[in-house]
Amino acid sequence: MPQDTCIHCHLSIPPQDLIVDEIEGKQLHFCCHGCQGAYRIITGAGLGNFYQRRTWNENGVPSGTFETDFDDSVLAEHVIHESDDSAEIPLLIEGIRCASCVWLLEKLIGREVGVADVRINYGSHRARIRFNPRQTSPANLLTQVSRLGYRPHPFTAGAAQQAAVREQRTLLIRFGTAAFLSMQLMGFSFALYGGYFHGIDSKIRMIIQYFAAAVTFPVVFYSGWPFLAGGWRSLKNRAPSMDLLISLGVLTAFIFSLYALQSGGEVYFDTAAMIVTLILLGRLFEGAARNRSVSGIDRLLQLAPDSANLIIDGETRTVSSASLVPEDIILVRPGERIPVDGIIAGGETELDEATVTGEPMPVLRKVGEAVAAGTLNLTSSIQLSVLRVSAESFIARMARMVEEAQNRKAPIQSLADRVATIFVPAVILVATATWFCWTFLLNATPSAALLNAVAVLVVACPCALGLATPTAVLVATGNAASRGILFRGGDILEMTGRVDTIAFDKTGTLTLGKPTVAEIIPARGKDENDVLDLACRAEAGSSHPIAVSIKARAEQAGLHPAETGSVTTIPGSGLKMSTDCGEVLVGSRVFLTANGLDIPSTESGTLTEVHVSLDNDWIGTLLIHDPVREEAQQAVTDLHHLGLQTVLLTGDRRETAKEVCARLNITDFHAETSPADKADWINRQKQDGKMTMMVGDGINDAPALSCANVGCAMAGGTDIALETSDLVLTKPHLGRLHEAIFIARKTLQVIKQNLFWAFAYNFVTLPLAASGQLAPVWAAVAMATSSVLVVGNSLRLGRVIRRTFPIANQSPVD
Amino acid sequence: MLKSIIILIILSLCIGTGAWLIFIWTVRRGDFDDVEGPKYRMLDDDEDDSSSSTNKPGDKE
Repeated sequence: MPQDTCIHCHLSIPPQDLIVDEIEGKQLHFCCHGCQGAYRIITGAGLGNFYQRRTWNENGVPSGTFETDFDDSVLAEHVIHESDDSAEIPLLIEGIRCASCVWLLEKLIGREVGVADVRINYGSHRARIRFNPRQTSPANLLTQVSRLGYRPHPFTAGAAQQAAVREQRTLLIRFGTAAFLSMQLMGFSFALYGGYFHGIDSKIRMIIQYFAAAVTFPVVFYSGWPFLAGGWRSLKNRAPSMDLLISLGVLTAFIFSLYALQSGGEVYFDTAAMIVTLILLGRLFEGAARNRSVSGIDRLLQLAPDSANLIIDGETRTVSSASLVPEDIILVRPGERIPVDGIIAGGETELDEATVTGEPMPVLRKVGEAVAAGTLNLTSSIQLSVLRVSAESFIARMARMVEEAQNRKAPIQSLADRVATIFVPAVILVATATWFCWTFLLNATPSAALLNAVAVLVVACPCALGLATPTAVLVATGNAASRGILFRGGDILEMTGRVDTIAFDKTGTLTLGKPTVAEIIPARGKDENDVLDLACRAEAGSSHPIAVSIKARAEQAGLHPAETGSVTTIPGSGLKMSTDCGEVLVGSRVFLTANGLDIPSTESGTLTEVHVSLDNDWIGTLLIHDPVREEAQQAVTDLHHLGLQTVLLTGDRRETAKEVCARLNITDFHAETSPADKADWINRQKQDGKMTMMVGDGINDAPALSCANVGCAMAGGTDIALETSDLVLTKPHLGRLHEAIFIARKTLQVIKQNLFWAFAYNFVTLPLAASGQLAPVWAAVAMATSSVLVVGNSLRLGRVIRRTFPIANQSPVD
Repeated sequence: MLKSIIILIILSLCIGTGAWLIFIWTVRRGDFDDVEGPKYRMLDDDEDDSSSSTNKPGDKE
């Protein structure tokens, strides 16, 4: 490890902050006392392995986070008391990056006196600590967690979340029960099948049949309850649905079998049980996929703390964030996150706004400036005037968007429902007609006629239909995720498969978003360093990407200029700095010309010009270049091969847009657009009946991303962009876009094949059953086969994806 | 013959019901809520045993 990075946090150490400590005979370098302390705690507890085990792949808590005090009286409402010497506190722990963080926390907290059990959920970062309130206090536990550098939040799940967890558990129990009983039932059925073909003692047969009836009863009426209830609802609303078809099939098979039990015919309990079991399995898959995609977003939303320090008459009181009203004054200490949107009323501080802007650099905020809930106060205490109640804060509005997304259903699933509206009445009609024909036209016995009608209902049962969509979606999202492509649900997968136009943002999407100084053009008699020095001094306090690029270049050239005068920023134009040697202007051509300067024209092409002047003398020009991503051209060509239109939407100059389009062969472009313009353009496309995907990364793309049929964001973009998007590429590589669309199209194709097969099977077997050629036992066998075929077809999708895009292949070509 | 079949069936149902009750108990306990963690935890405990055995003296203050 290089000596200039901190052994604990791996961040580079500013020379003035270097702390050298000798631990176990080794000289170790730390960037701050916090890291030194954490290292000593960890190694002191014999857990030094942490440093070998950890693999960091997610941003953790930013550096500079301070310890916070925890107050038992505030935590009390989150503690669940089980008995006098046992209590539990649920936490959400921020800063967990990998499995070894979980390991470390569980071990260290588990060793605290009075702690009985620590369980941290690896996926959701939620923890449950069970402790003895006589021996330790919640505040002590939270302090221990934060001493390690993680941030614990007392966390009580909302009513909706708890309901969702309960529902998933109930579903699991229903399925487990159905699966267990179906297995028992299969044993009985095999005996009965054997008896059907080889003969069986009628007494034994009857006993086995009774047992079969007994185990099927709970499957139909407990496990199958959601379907029965749904079917009843759809009957009441006169809107035939899949649920109705399922319950009809299940109930007929079950009731007919009961009748056959009395009259000594063949029973079909296994059919009824299998339908319920398989369809529950499909629903379980669906629910798991949805929960997975939601839990990450959920975590972000928990960032705004539940409690705030309200200042009344000079005294601070801890209150719940939800009770704050606009104009309340609250105190936010360093190391705390801002609980509600507000305006700084006193003090100034540096904030980490990465959750909102994606900018990892701390931002200085002064009195009168607005700050958003969920951002982290880094350096000093501030007083905040509340702007909006917490339910209206930026982060809460996002929460609502997530909830809406959660409730969306894959449209192709609703296709199955739409078909059901025709299919269900048709099946009932055919069954009735079958019974009618056999009874009155063909003069069959009442039992034979009923048997044929039942065969129709059994054969029409939509087992394969229930599995068609969820299995394909599960296979596709799983395979896509291992390639760094995250679809937020089945509907997104389907939409992506239908997209015909792709709109790109320029900066950060097609380009790397990391501008560099390409060229410095000094005026006559000046040299490059003069230009750089002045520009750098003016930009010293700015975190604008262009300023960052100038500062980086200056550092390369060995210059370390500091801010030496008072700087005024003119947003969108440039900077003005008055120094003892004169007034310095740094900014665009328009800005400097407006200030009476004469600048010779430059050959800038696609580059951004930054001009520098000192006391009305032009000193020179810096040309800033934001390189286009290496793979962009190949990616655009691949997309064209798939028959897609490509469009560039950028706020940048016309010439730059044109140049980029020409280089990458992008079909069309719209330059100098505002965020609202971009959204407008996408809405117009929608009205024209086009399916548009927007690819972007910035906060300025957020409206367009949420407007588009599919919003796609790349990792490295802002959290907002990631959260408003439907499709996330976790590796910032444009080639993934091509893969995503390919996978989505293939999935759509497989779903259609599955649905086609499921329906076609029904149409072929229905007439057979109606004509009395298909005994219900064969109908049940055929049904199982069709389910297996559908699942197999979905699994084939995984093979196709793996073959087309081997994981190691970085830039797939077709 | 008949009696033994009935006894065997009832026995199998009892064993199955036992497994089913255990399943319900684990779901209620929340054992299926985190399906991602156990695979890491399994490895963790292995290494912890070896490391804590070498560092035992310094474990408790």
